[in-house]
Amino acid sequence: MSLEPIRPGREVVQAPPTGLAGSRPLPDISDLHPGNPYGDVLITGLVRAQLGLTLGFLTLTVAVIGSLPIVATLLPGIDRANVAGLPVPLLVLGAGIYPVLVALGWGYVRLAERLERRFAELLSRST
Amino acid sequence: MSDTALVAVILVTLVTVAVGARGMRVARTPADFLVAAREVPPVVNASAISGEYLSAASFLGVAGLVYVDGVGALWYPVGYATGYLVLLLLVAAPLRRFGAYTIPDFAEGRLSSPLLRKVGTVFVLVIGWFYLLPQFKGAGITLAFVMGTPYWIGVVALGTVVTANIAAGGMKGITVVQAFQFWLKIVAIAVPAVVLLALTHPRAGALDRPVGATFPKAASVSITTPIAFNVTKAETVTGAGQLDGRTLTGPVRLEPGRHRVAAGSTLRFAAGAVAPSAIGIDELQGTSWSMPFARAGNGRQHPLAATYGLILATFLGTVGLPHILVRFYTNRDGASARRTTAIVLLLVSCFYLFPVVFGVLGRLEAPSLYLTNNTDSVVLLLPQIGVDGAGGIVLAALVAAGAFAAFLSTSSGLLISVAGALSHDLLDGSVRTFRWCTVLAGVLATVAGLRVADFSLNLLVGWAFAIAASTFCPLLVLGIWWRRLTRVGCLAGLLVGGLTSATAIVATMAGAGQSGWPAVLLGLPAIWTVPMSFLVMVVVSLLTPGSLPEDVEDKMLVLHLPERLRGRTAVSWPEAPSVRPDGPSILPEPG
Repeated sequence: MSLEPIRPGREVVQAPPTGLAGSRPLPDISDLHPGNPYGDVLITGLVRAQLGLTLGFLTLTVAVIGSLPIVATLLPGIDRANVAGLPVPLLVLGAGIYPVLVALGWGYVRLAERLERRFAELLSRST
Repeated sequence: MSDTALVAVILVTLVTVAVGARGMRVARTPADFLVAAREVPPVVNASAISGEYLSAASFLGVAGLVYVDGVGALWYPVGYATGYLVLLLLVAAPLRRFGAYTIPDFAEGRLSSPLLRKVGTVFVLVIGWFYLLPQFKGAGITLAFVMGTPYWIGVVALGTVVTANIAAGGMKGITVVQAFQFWLKIVAIAVPAVVLLALTHPRAGALDRPVGATFPKAASVSITTPIAFNVTKAETVTGAGQLDGRTLTGPVRLEPGRHRVAAGSTLRFAAGAVAPSAIGIDELQGTSWSMPFARAGNGRQHPLAATYGLILATFLGTVGLPHILVRFYTNRDGASARRTTAIVLLLVSCFYLFPVVFGVLGRLEAPSLYLTNNTDSVVLLLPQIGVDGAGGIVLAALVAAGAFAAFLSTSSGLLISVAGALSHDLLDGSVRTFRWCTVLAGVLATVAGLRVADFSLNLLVGWAFAIAASTFCPLLVLGIWWRRLTRVGCLAGLLVGGLTSATAIVATMAGAGQSGWPAVLLGLPAIWTVPMSFLVMVVVSLLTPGSLPEDVEDKMLVLHLPERLRGRTAVSWPEAPSVRPDGPSILPEPG
C-alpha cells in the first residue's frame, strides 16, 4: 500500500542529482516506453504498487465480508440472536454491511489517487 | 388502483422513449456521443450506471426472495453491491485507460487476437440473454398484478416497447435517461418502504414465532391460477369457488395436509390464521427464517457451499456484465472511473437498504403470497395492504412505475449490448444489420421470457452472473494484472469456464439437481467453474509461452499509467478508442 516496490525510482530520488559529468541522466517520463530498461522498471514498479494496494483491499474485503458465512456456521445460535427485536443476521446483511463496503471503496480511491500522485511527483522531481 | 398504477407505468414508458428519442437527435454519431460523454460529471455517470444495473431482480426479486427464503437471500443484494467494490479494486481505472468499449474489444486489444473477440462476443450474447429473461418475467408479473392481465401480455408489451424503441434508434448512450431512472427507482422503493415502516407496527418478535407466517387481520385471497397447497395447522376458511373439487358455500375446515383450489376462487382467512403455502414453497418456520445462508434447489443441504457459490458468482460477476462496462467509457479518465465506481457503490448500497423492508414486512403483513406463489410480487402488493385509501393507491402506483423503470432501463441496456455485439462483432456492423439484430434478439428473449414465469427473478439473474464470473472475470483480471497471459491460455479459460457454467445452468433449468450436492453444484456453479476458469487460464498460459502477445509491455503501460503522464512519454498513445478507430461497437453510425 505504499510505493515501496518502486525501488529504482526511489533510490534515484534518495540520491539527488549531483551534476557529475558523464553520469547517467535520471529517469525521465520519456523513459517510459517499452524496451527502455529504466522505463520497464518504472512501469513494473507502478503496476506492482497498484496491485499491492488492490490485493490489500481484496484481503480486507474477504476478511470482513467473505468470512461471514463461516462465522455464522461457527456461531450455532446466530439465528436466535436478536438486537432490538430484530434478528442479528438480518441487521448485518440487510444494513450493517453496506457502510463497510462504501468505506472500503472510498478508502481505496483515496489511496490509489495518492499512489498515482506520488508516482507523478517522483518522475517530475527527477526531470 | 389499477388505473392510477397503469397511468404511472405508461408515463414512465413514454418519458423513457421521449427522452431517448430527443437524445438521439443530439448525439448522432459515436464522436458526438463521446464529446458529450466527457462533459458528464461522475455523479451523473454513477447514477446512470446504477440506473442500468438495478433491474427487476433488485427492485422486485430481492424482497420476494427474502419473503420466501429468509435472511439468507440477502446475499444476493450484498453480492450485487460488493461486485462494484471488486470492479473498483481490479478493473475500473485500467479498463478506462485502455479505452476498450466492450469486453470483446478488450479481449482483442489486449491479446491482439480477433478470434478472442468472436469468442467473447458469443459469451456477451449468452450472458445478455440470460439477464434479459428476468426483466421480461418482471414485466409479466407486474402488468398481471396492476391490470389483472395474463402473464404473457406484460412480457410481450415490454418486448415490443424496448425492441421497437431501440430498433428505431432510441436509447443510445442516453446517460440522462438511465440516471433519471435510478432516481425514480430509489424514490419508488424508499418512500413506500419508509411509509410502511411508519404505519405498520413491525411486530418484531413475530419473526421468531415457532409457526409460520399468520394473517395479521382477516384477508381475502383471490386465486388466479389453480394451486395445490399445504396446510400445517387446521383452519376454518370461507369463500367462493372450488376447493378440493367441491363448491365452496359456507365455512370449511381445512385439515392439515394437501389441498387444491381452482382458478377464480376466493378464500377468506380469519385474523391469526396460519397462512398455507403452495406446494414447492418451503415456507420457513420460526427462526430458520433468520439463517444467513443461501439455498440451492429445493433443499437446504450444504448451506455453506451454496452461500459461497452465490458469493463467487455475484462478487465476481459484476465485473463481466456486458451492459455495464460500456458506461465506464463515459468517464474522463481512469481516476474519474474509480470515483464513479465508488459513487455507484454508495448509490446501490443505499438502494439495497429498502427491498429488505418489503421482504420482512411482507412476511408479517401479507402472508397470502405464500399461498398464491407470487412471492416476487410482494413489493407491489404491500403498499395496498399496509396503507389505506388514496395513499395506498398512490404508493402502489409509485412502486409499479419504479418496477417498470427497472425493466425498461436494464432490458434496453442489455438489448443494445446483445444486438451491438451480434451486428458489429459477428456481422457487418451496419445500422440496418443492427436493427435486424435488435428485432431478432428482442423476439428471442421475449419468447424465452414467456417460459420463465416459474423461476425466481434472482435465480435467473444469478445465472447470468455465474457465467460472467466464469468467463469475463478471469479474462479481465488476468488481462489487466498478469503479463504472462497468452492467447491460447485465455481462449482455453474462456471456453472451459463458459461451457461448464452454461451447461450446469441449462441442466438446472431442465430440472436436474433438485437437492443435495447436485443442486448446489449445478444451480450455483460459480463455486467450481470460477476457480477452474482461472486455473485453466493460468496453467495453459504458462504452457504456451509461444502465444504471448509481443506488445504486452506496451499494453501494460496503457492499462496502468495515469493519463496525465502520457503526454510526455515516448509512446504514441492511441486517441480515444485504443482498440478500434471506427468507434464503439454498440453505436453503429446512423445511416
